[in-house]
Amino acid sequence: MEARRKFSVKAFIKANGVPIMFFILCGLGVLASGKPIGFLMQEAIGRMARNSFLVLSLVVPIVAGLGLNFAIVLGAMAGQAGLIAVAAAKIRGLMGLFTAILVAFPLALLLGWTAGTIMNKAKGREMIAGMILGFFMNGVYMLVFLFGAGTVLPIKDPAMILPQGYGLRNTVDLQVIKWSLDNLLKVRIGPVSLPLATFAASALLSWGIVKLFSTKLGQDMRAVGQDLRIAEVAGIKVDRTRMIAMLLSTVLGSIGQIIFLQNIGTLNVYDSHGQTATFAIAALLVGGATVTKATVGQALLGTFMFHLLFIVSPYAGQNLLGSAMVGEYFRAFIAYAVIAFSLALHSLQRSRMAVRR
Amino acid sequence: MKLFFRLAVCLILVSALLAGCSKPAEPQTPDPSQSTTPTFKIGIMTGTVSQGEDEYRAAEQVKAKYGDRIVHVTYPDNFMQEQETTISLLTGLASDPDVKAIVVCQAVPGTAAAIDKIRETRDDIIFVVVVPHEDVKLMESKADIMFETDNLARGRTIVQLAKELGATHFLHYSFPRHMSMELLAQRRQIMEDTCKELGIEFVFVTAPDPMGPDGIPGAQKFILEDVPRQVAQYGKDICVFSTNCGMQEPLIKAALQEGAIFAEQCCPSPTHGYPNALGLDVGGIAGDMPKILAAIEETIVESGGSGRFATWPVPINMVFLRAGVELAIQAVEGEIQLTDEAAVKAALEAEAGVTMQLSKYSEDGNFWLAVMDSVIFGK
Repeated sequence: MEARRKFSVKAFIKANGVPIMFFILCGLGVLASGKPIGFLMQEAIGRMARNSFLVLSLVVPIVAGLGLNFAIVLGAMAGQAGLIAVAAAKIRGLMGLFTAILVAFPLALLLGWTAGTIMNKAKGREMIAGMILGFFMNGVYMLVFLFGAGTVLPIKDPAMILPQGYGLRNTVDLQVIKWSLDNLLKVRIGPVSLPLATFAASALLSWGIVKLFSTKLGQDMRAVGQDLRIAEVAGIKVDRTRMIAMLLSTVLGSIGQIIFLQNIGTLNVYDSHGQTATFAIAALLVGGATVTKATVGQALLGTFMFHLLFIVSPYAGQNLLGSAMVGEYFRAFIAYAVIAFSLALHSLQRSRMAVRR
Repeated sequence: MKLFFRLAVCLILVSALLAGCSKPAEPQTPDPSQSTTPTFKIGIMTGTVSQGEDEYRAAEQVKAKYGDRIVHVTYPDNFMQEQETTISLLTGLASDPDVKAIVVCQAVPGTAAAIDKIRETRDDIIFVVVVPHEDVKLMESKADIMFETDNLARGRTIVQLAKELGATHFLHYSFPRHMSMELLAQRRQIMEDTCKELGIEFVFVTAPDPMGPDGIPGAQKFILEDVPRQVAQYGKDICVFSTNCGMQEPLIKAALQEGAIFAEQCCPSPTHGYPNALGLDVGGIAGDMPKILAAIEETIVESGGSGRFATWPVPINMVFLRAGVELAIQAVEGEIQLTDEAAVKAALEAEAGVTMQLSKYSEDGNFWLAVMDSVIFGK
C-alpha cells in the first residue's frame, strides 16, 4: 500500500499533465491580467454556463470508442435550424426554447443517423470522417438557408430575409428567446450572477451521463470503446451501440447549441456553428480527457479552465507586453499552443502506454 | 519522471517569459499634461495591424492624444471563430465604471451580443460603431451612432471627379466574380448612368480575376499591358478605375507612364497603391497621412501627372474612428447630441480636413454613410 501511494503522486502528475499545466497557466494569467476577480468570475461563469452542455455532449462518443466527435457541428446546425424556426414564428421565452429543441430534435436524429452510418463504415478513422462530414453538411446548410429560406421555407419577416426576397440575412436576432433559460433562476452573489437554471440543465445532463454508464447500454458502450472485436465476440451489437452513441451526441449537441445561442442572443446564421466543434473539443482535452477516455468531471473542469484562459490572456498579454496588438498575438499563441501541447502530450502518453503493453 | 521534468521546464520557460516581458510595460505612465482633464475613459476596439493597419494606427494616434483616458483592445484576428472573445473583451472594457463610451472599428460579429450584454447592467455607455459586419438593420437598433463608407454614392462622385480632371472616357476594369456582387454591380451601373449624363464615354474591360489561375501577378501584368492599349485607342484623357485592390498599383503606375487620369482607388486612401506604384518608402512615416500625401505629390508632379491623379486625404476608417472618439467625448460631456447632423458632420470634417457628404441609411436610425472630398495631386 505504502509503495503504491508513493507511486501515485508521480502517476497523478503523469496522468494529469495537461490540466496541471493549464491550471498553472490560468493562475499566472489571472495574476497578470490585473482584472478584478469578480469580473473574471462573472465572465468565466457566463462562458461555463453557455458552453458546458456542448462539451458534455462529447463525452458519450469518446467512451463508445468514436473518438472526439467533430460531427457535433451537425447537431449545432440542427439546433440553429430550430432557433431560426422559432425566431421566424416569434415564439417567445421558454416556450420558444422548447419549441426550438422540438424542431431541432428530428433534424438532429436524421443528421446523427447519417453521421453514425458513416462512422460505422469508417471505423478507426472516425475523427477525420466526422470533420469532413461537418464541412460537407456546412455546404448543405448554406444551400438551405441561402436559397431555401423565403422560397421553400415559409419565412416572410423582412428583418430576417435578404432584400432580394430569399436567403436569410447573416445575423438573426434571437430576442424572442434570449436569456430565457438564463433568467429563469438567477442568483446574485456579490458581483457575480449565477444562471442556476442553465447550470441545472448541465447538471441534469452530467447526472444522466453518469447514470447511463451504469446501465447495460452504457456498459456495452464501454466494452465497444475498449475493443471492437472482443465486444463483438461477447455478443454486443457493435454498430447499433455506436449508432446510439452518435445519435445521443448529436441530439445533445443540438440542445447545447440552443443553450449557447440563447445566452449569446444573436445568431450568425452562416458561421455560428463553425466554432462549435473545435472549441468544445479543446475544452474537453484541457480537462484531461483523451481520445479514448473522458469523464463528466474532465468536461466541466476543462470548460472552466479553457474559457478562463481565453478571458485572461488578452489582458495578460496587454499588461505584460504593453501593446493591445501584441496582447492579441500573445493570447492566440498561448491559447492555441496549449491545445497543440495537450494533443501532443496525449499522443506521447499513448505511445508510452503502447510500449508498456 | 521525464514528463514531470518537461512540465517543470515549461513552467520555468513560461515564468521567465512573463518575468522578462513584464518590464517593458512599465514606461506606460500617464502623460502629466493630461492629469487635469476629466476622469472618464473611452474604450476602443480595433483589429490588429494584420486585419486593418489604418484603424490600429488611428487608435494609437488617439491614445497618444488622450493618454490613459483611452483603453485600447484588439479583437481576435480569427474573429469569425472567436466571437466569445470579442464579447468578453467588450464587456471587459465596460467592467471599468470610468469607461463611458466604446468605439468599435470594425464591428466584427459578436458586437451586437456584447452591446446587449453590457446594456443589461449599464445604460450609461455610448456605442460608436464603425463598419458593422453584422446585419445592418439589427446593428442600427443597438448602436448609438454608426458609420460606413457610401460605396454607391461613390459611383457618382468618382465619375464627377474624373470629369473635373478632364476625362472624356471612363474605363472600368473588373471581372465576373466582382460583377456578380450586388453592390459592385449596382455601382458600375450608377457610374455608367453618370457618364451618360456628363457626356463621358463609359468603357468596360474584363480583366483576369486575381483569384483565377494566373493569380494576382497575372492580373497585374494584364493591367500594365492593357492601359497603354486603351490609351492608344481612346487618347490620354481616359480615367482608369478598377474594383480590385491588387490592381491599383499597376493601374497607377501605367496611368502615370501613359499620361492617363486616375481619380480614385477601389478603397481610397493615400496608402493604397500609391506608395508602391511610385516606389516610395513610407516606413518612417507610417500612419502620418500629411507626410505620405506630400511625398506622393512630389513624385507625381515630378513625373508630369499634375492635376490628373487624386485620392482621399485620409483612409475613411481612420476618420470614422478619430471622429467617433471626439463625438463620444463631447456626447459624454453633454455638449452635443449624437443625433445632431451638424455636430457629426463637423467632427468628421475636422478629422478629414476636407468636406464630406453624409447621408442616412434609414430616416429613423442614426447610421451615417459618408463620402469624402478628394485631394488632387499637383493642384
